[in-house]
Amino acid sequence: MGATEHLSKQFEADLDATRTRVLEMGGLVEAQILAAIDAYASGDAALIERVIENDRRVNAHEVAIDGACSHIVVKRQPAASDLRLIMAVSKIVTDLERIGDEAEKIARMAKRIHEEGGGPFAQRFPAIRHAAQIAVRMLRQALDAFARLDAGPCADVVKEDAAIDDEFRSVLRSLITYMMGDPRTISTALEIVWVAKAIERIGDHAKNLAEQVIYIVRGTDVRHSPPAEVDREVAKE
Amino acid sequence: MTGLEVVLALAVAGLAYALARQLREFARLRRWAARSRLPDAPEARGAWGEVFNLLERHRRSAAGERRRLARLIVRTRRAAQALPYGVTTLDPALRVEWCNAAARAHLGIDPERDRGEPIANFVRQPEFIEYLQRRNPSELLRLRAAGAEARTLSVQLVAFDENAWLLLSHDVTGEERLEAMRRDFVANVSHELRTPLTVLTGFLETIGERKLEPQRVRDYLNLMRPQAERMARLIEDLLALSTLEHAPPPPEARVAVRALLERVRAEAEALSGGRHRIALEISGDADLAGAESELASAFANLVTNAVRYTPEGGEIRIAWRAARAGAEFSVEDTGIGIEPEHIPRLTERFYRVDHGRSRESGGTGLGLAIVKHALARHEAALAIESTPGRGSVFRARFPAARLLPATQKVSG
Repeated sequence: MGATEHLSKQFEADLDATRTRVLEMGGLVEAQILAAIDAYASGDAALIERVIENDRRVNAHEVAIDGACSHIVVKRQPAASDLRLIMAVSKIVTDLERIGDEAEKIARMAKRIHEEGGGPFAQRFPAIRHAAQIAVRMLRQALDAFARLDAGPCADVVKEDAAIDDEFRSVLRSLITYMMGDPRTISTALEIVWVAKAIERIGDHAKNLAEQVIYIVRGTDVRHSPPAEVDREVAKE
Repeated sequence: MTGLEVVLALAVAGLAYALARQLREFARLRRWAARSRLPDAPEARGAWGEVFNLLERHRRSAAGERRRLARLIVRTRRAAQALPYGVTTLDPALRVEWCNAAARAHLGIDPERDRGEPIANFVRQPEFIEYLQRRNPSELLRLRAAGAEARTLSVQLVAFDENAWLLLSHDVTGEERLEAMRRDFVANVSHELRTPLTVLTGFLETIGERKLEPQRVRDYLNLMRPQAERMARLIEDLLALSTLEHAPPPPEARVAVRALLERVRAEAEALSGGRHRIALEISGDADLAGAESELASAFANLVTNAVRYTPEGGEIRIAWRAARAGAEFSVEDTGIGIEPEHIPRLTERFYRVDHGRSRESGGTGLGLAIVKHALARHEAALAIESTPGRGSVFRARFPAARLLPATQKVSG
């Protein structure tokens, strides 16, 4: 984005402010995932309530940023890379909002699991925490790439999604073993499946985010491309 | 031509020459002054020479001053770079201007690439964003750092200059962990003591308030004794642990390992009451240099655990294998085993894999912490391997420096 493309300083300031707001929303969503996973492990009721409560803040960010985007489009009629940025931002915001919803879902499941006394059972699956750590790292990398408008790390994010899918399958396998061995574990096990699924979805959304950053920087749409192709696209100069 | 005309012509020529020279010198001065980096001032004669010399002197002193200032800036930057604190300078709009290596590691910002970007774009934790908005310089913020390992930072925004900001960051992970450990320890000790105490007071109230038959009172007293014993055991373990932590290094007295292990085995047989097969294997003739009481307590703890966590009919093998490179004490059982996620935390105080089972079997939750400390004081590390449902092996490896040739001859 050359500064010469901008007609006014105010326009540039509007774009920067929107980007910072998106990153702020990203930070909140990231904190929501971490808190939800802590709540899943500990069963801390206050923490669970806070995650559920904070999802409203995530939604408020979405509405505000969408408003700012329409405002910029109507008032400034951006073209080329600026238009690309605005379009990508509105998609990124949707993904962030969905991640927020998944975090809230994890918190609600945590509440149910612990109310039913399934807390100790839930701790038998370290892969859950591990998958969540990968998901948070992917989200963080995608947001860093968006902050720097740097497509470089995005290919890694796209690749890492496969690692989460592996963890998800491993959780599923061990849950099935427990359910077959002892039918009393079934109801808690099913709730744990929802938690694992939510984490897997977070990974997917983080991947979408990284793809949008590639679109902003390179102007190419790499959605639905296999990781190797994304790699090639990002390596192009 | 008249003489006057000749004189005039000469005068005009002379003036023209003098003027041309002045103009040439002036042009040289102009050219010289127009260069961005001033070289030595040109040489010149007469009044121009004086002007050039004066300018040259100013140039030199200015260049010297500039060099001095540049050195000072470099030194200041280096000093800021060397600080063990993270330092980031921010402009009035809280955009990154510069940061040192520690700040880079703490906050993940890149001083080159991220210059001029809002700090909030990179450090996105909601509590940090709120903290920035408050702009309250006297307030410190505890921040969970973004990054693979869970680190805690203490950050502070300090105003400097006019409206510019310094962001200080400091890694407090170690302090935080220590604080948490202390808090947990006190909470755990209180909890462990309160449980038996509740039972005791309950019985005391019953005995005090009601008229009971002597037989009933005796029954109650029999139920109370194990609780009192449990409290005594806990306090003994706490004292043992505290002694191990604070005592000077153990004496290097000879500890006859064979005799010691035979005693340990006899204790284990007594505890087992014939429910387990207990074997003792000794190979290599070496004794240990150290404190007998500490080693005895470490070995006995490991063996007792094996007896407690091995179901009836199981097998326990105590072994001592000494070689030139070092020696190994090991206890292998065919017990219930330990899930892998618990193993790294087993030596933490009051860490229990299964609360009910541990207390039922008389454990205080401090045994392995004592073992770890006692072994560490003898330069030995505790290694644990386990397969759930199959059994566990606890090993303590002693370095050669801790070994003494055994006094008793050993066979096998």
